[in-house]
Amino acid sequence: MNRKVNKKIIKAAKDTVFYLFLTTLIAGMLLPVYFIVSLSFLSTREAYRYPLPLIPALKTDFELTYGENGYMLSVWDRTDKEYQTVLDTNEVEKMEVYIKSRLGTKITQEEIQAEIARLENSDQESIFFTKPRSLLYNYDTFFKVTRDAVPALIRSIEIAALTILISLSIGGLAGYAFARYIFKGKDALRFSVLFVRMFPGVAIALPMVFILARANLYDEPLGLSLIYSVGAIGLTIWITASIFMGIPESLEEAARVFGASKFKAFMRITLPLALPGLAASAMYTFLGAWNETVAAIILTQFKPTFSVVVYQTLLGAQGQINLAAAGGIAMALPALIFTFFLRRYINQMWGGVTV
Amino acid sequence: MATLEIINVTKRFGRKVIAADNVSLEVHDKEFLVLLGPSGCGKTTTLRMVAGLEEVTDGNILIDGVDVTDLPPRKRNISMVFQNYAIWPHMTVYENISYALKLKRMEKSEIDRIVHEVAVMTKIEELLERLPAQLSGGQQQRVAVARAIAVSPKVFLMDEPLSNLDAKLRVSTRTELKAIHASAKATTVFVTHDQAEAMSIADRIVIMRHGKIIQIGTPEEVYDKGANIFVADFIGTPPTNFFDVELQRNGKGLHLVNSYFDLRLLPENEARLKGYNKDQLTLGVRPENIILVKKPKSILDTTALVVEPQGSHQVIAFRLGERIIKIVAPALPKMEMGETIHLDFKQESLRFFDPESTLAIGD
Repeated sequence: MNRKVNKKIIKAAKDTVFYLFLTTLIAGMLLPVYFIVSLSFLSTREAYRYPLPLIPALKTDFELTYGENGYMLSVWDRTDKEYQTVLDTNEVEKMEVYIKSRLGTKITQEEIQAEIARLENSDQESIFFTKPRSLLYNYDTFFKVTRDAVPALIRSIEIAALTILISLSIGGLAGYAFARYIFKGKDALRFSVLFVRMFPGVAIALPMVFILARANLYDEPLGLSLIYSVGAIGLTIWITASIFMGIPESLEEAARVFGASKFKAFMRITLPLALPGLAASAMYTFLGAWNETVAAIILTQFKPTFSVVVYQTLLGAQGQINLAAAGGIAMALPALIFTFFLRRYINQMWGGVTV
Repeated sequence: MATLEIINVTKRFGRKVIAADNVSLEVHDKEFLVLLGPSGCGKTTTLRMVAGLEEVTDGNILIDGVDVTDLPPRKRNISMVFQNYAIWPHMTVYENISYALKLKRMEKSEIDRIVHEVAVMTKIEELLERLPAQLSGGQQQRVAVARAIAVSPKVFLMDEPLSNLDAKLRVSTRTELKAIHASAKATTVFVTHDQAEAMSIADRIVIMRHGKIIQIGTPEEVYDKGANIFVADFIGTPPTNFFDVELQRNGKGLHLVNSYFDLRLLPENEARLKGYNKDQLTLGVRPENIILVKKPKSILDTTALVVEPQGSHQVIAFRLGERIIKIVAPALPKMEMGETIHLDFKQESLRFFDPESTLAIGD
């Protein structure tokens, strides 16, 4: 009887510890993501409050009273739970700019004038009104204000696509060779393709500036994608080689016996079967090229990549963390979309479908 | 259908390895030929050279008199069943079977007709829309066979197609394969390392070892008249028993003697050994040719070491010096372990081998 109870208690304790551990782990992974997403929707004023509001507000509450210089505008502060005065002016334009840029709230000069008129016409000391937030204000600003954001985004996509093209065509073919053929120095070569990845990007970036400059590729998307391909090819070879090894050679041989040429057998049999692996390595390559910043800072000047732009926003004079957060999310989005489209193949690679 | 000729074909891998060494054989029209041998004997390499999947180092391969040595596989008019079936996993059964026909640019209705015909023949009509992953091993094997028949090849190649099936299915499938061969009447080359499979399915058997052909013959020939010790040992379960004996001639006739028995040969056997001048001989006796007899007639008395009842018969093993000898006896009377047994040899089926060259003597 006693023993039974003891067992139950021990089991409950074990379960509790396990779920605590699991929850902590998940929170540890998800909280930073939530934090940056939420931050990207906060107004500039709120982004610097402490403690930080957990959820972005959908509207802003105002109080308008008479002030020394004209009208006094107060805003409801969610952290301190009170109206706090932010402006004392009689210039409607100044009010509009402040409300839009610092509070991320939709308003027009006519609306402000209407509220002022309402205050004058009433016999009260102050009036209250509410305006909706423009949630995408940070994103809008990021792309409007930040130097070069849209061209940089296009450039980044271009570089990532080029890197995939180069590393998949060269690395994929090399992977096939590693999987299917026996040749001298195969093991040494297979190891040495990873050797390239052991050098930190920064270390080779500076010499690369000279090499690329000589080839007229400095500050060009192609130049950067060539640099990214150096590392990506190695990884692509490793992934694709193991994929091709997993596809029995006899499948290709059967196709050749039953009427296909060597090339056709590869295209019709091996390639479709290798697609999950190719997709996975394309994804790795994309993420690598997309997120890379250090080499991109060194190897670009007037044509920065998107990651460089986000980095500069974080550091630059106009540095606002909510803008940087919006930039970060804007940067993560294409990677997410790309991964989403490839998920079917990548799931296959993780054992969804056996080859 | 067609004939297949392999003329002095040699295959080298690198400098040292010779996978097939001057192999020559002819497969007749509609014949079911089995290449048999232990692993690494060159049988699969030979088959792959016929298929065109392996380049020929030296020699020629002729199909229907046409030299195909340098043609790619698709131009040889052959088809093949692979050991692992090599069914394309991303195509349905129907697509697998019709792929070759599509490449031949056949009419859709014609393709449909052929696919259904071979599906009926191999009993896979219900599986046509399935993907290979949804099939059992036996069903996959049938698909591989159906795909190979569908193209109506001149030569039909099979590379150990039954070795991935479980024992019971293997036996029933080989019967079906033979039936399919009988109705499709295709010239067939079948590779296996399983001598029982070869015996049961072949018109003729080619026994290979170390890249060379040791013997070509019907199942009866290779069983009864093995060309050397290797063949006699390789064919049959349990294999042939071998005894090292000395030839002794006394007044009355020829005796085969060792420390366990003294066998006096009958005149016809004596005649077979006439041209043999050496003193030493290896005697080969099939397990069923060592018989249990009553005491005075026996030439060898020993004790049963192990008795394995098999239902229809029993296998009795005993020790003779270093060797374990196995005999096959009728199921009754039932023998017990440790029981004394009295044995004699059937003289009409004794096999003689030269212990130095291992070749058979007196055939």
